[in-house]
Amino acid sequence: MTRSAVAAAVEAVLFVAEKPVSRAELARTIGAGAKAVGEALGELEEWYRGTGLRLQHEGDDWQIVTAPEMAPHVATYLGADRLRLSSAALETLAVVAYRQPVTRAEVESIRGVNCDQTIYTLMSRRLIAELGRREAPGSPFEYGTTWEFLECFGLASLDALPTVLSPEGVRSEDERVPSP
Amino acid sequence: MPVGPRPPDVSIVGFEGPLDLLLELVEEKKLDIFTMRLGDLADEYLARVRRMAVLPADEVSAFLYIASRLVLLKARSLLPSLTPAANDEELDTEEELRLRLIEYATTKGRAEALGDRMRAGERAFHREGGTVELPPKGGDPDALAAAWLKVMALTRRTQEDVEVPGERYSVEQRTAEIEALMAERPKVTFATLLGDRPTLGYAIVTFIALLDLYRRLAIDITQDELFGEIRIERKVQRMEGLTE
Repeated sequence: MTRSAVAAAVEAVLFVAEKPVSRAELARTIGAGAKAVGEALGELEEWYRGTGLRLQHEGDDWQIVTAPEMAPHVATYLGADRLRLSSAALETLAVVAYRQPVTRAEVESIRGVNCDQTIYTLMSRRLIAELGRREAPGSPFEYGTTWEFLECFGLASLDALPTVLSPEGVRSEDERVPSP
Repeated sequence: MPVGPRPPDVSIVGFEGPLDLLLELVEEKKLDIFTMRLGDLADEYLARVRRMAVLPADEVSAFLYIASRLVLLKARSLLPSLTPAANDEELDTEEELRLRLIEYATTKGRAEALGDRMRAGERAFHREGGTVELPPKGGDPDALAAAWLKVMALTRRTQEDVEVPGERYSVEQRTAEIEALMAERPKVTFATLLGDRPTLGYAIVTFIALLDLYRRLAIDITQDELFGEIRIERKVQRMEGLTE
């Protein structure tokens, strides 16, 4: 399998990009159709399998990152610290990750405790961010996960969030607590 | 909701919160979360809460809220004739609390899965600070070659100068020379003053002499662009002063 010209162009642009690049911008930049760029991204994803690189995407924004399995080497080279979070912060992060966009009240309703501190901690680590205000009484902030979150947990996209079977197995995935 | 500084979010005596405590009791007793009667846990839940150390007020209220609901559920099961207050009907059913508990159990499982990933440390990195430095526009290879030739010439001169030592200049002498020259020519360039074979010392002394003349308002110095020619111009009033 060889890379198509479009895939090579997409790879070159993503290589020098300092931040995620949208498919539309890629298409504009290299003068190809959005469909061709989409296929090229799929090509690259396939191509990177077994290499030290991965394609990471959130929605339609794409970025080349290092493969999670190579993290120890890259971390050593960069002198990067390992992420540490309390179980309370992890719980809040789990609610935000799986339920985004979500308000603070919703997180607190699910966890049953005040979440000011954990939300602050996660925001300061740039794992979650305010997405905007919800059109609801009090216009509360809605929170969602960030690129840093995907990176820190080695997830290629939100679709790659681990599937967890709860006490009742698959059923829990369908159950929804009524909104408070 | 209270805002402002809060105590650090730490696990309270092994529990993350009231739902965590309830879930712990269900798991300890190996009960089926779907079919068990939650009211049956009321006594045990209250006993656990009573044994807890002092908690911040809002934490206590969260625990007591769940406790009160468990007690209510227990009371209803003991006294089926007890009818719930009309406005509580939606919120206070056993099913609602059960769903919250299941939701919390799911969240806890997900948090553990994320925690496993975090501890495994298998994260991704992106290129940091990958700014590409673009060369300045209008680069001219010929200009580069010309500059190189100049440097070569200067190097040769310096070597020659080493063989002719004893060349010494004083700022005063050089100032006088420049003043004499400028009495005849009102405009000169720095390159002219340096002559064909300037040594470093000669250039420095000439430059200092110019600065001195400028300080004494004898001349004006202009330079249009960086590295451009330095033009020296005699000041008119000074000239008049000299002629009087």
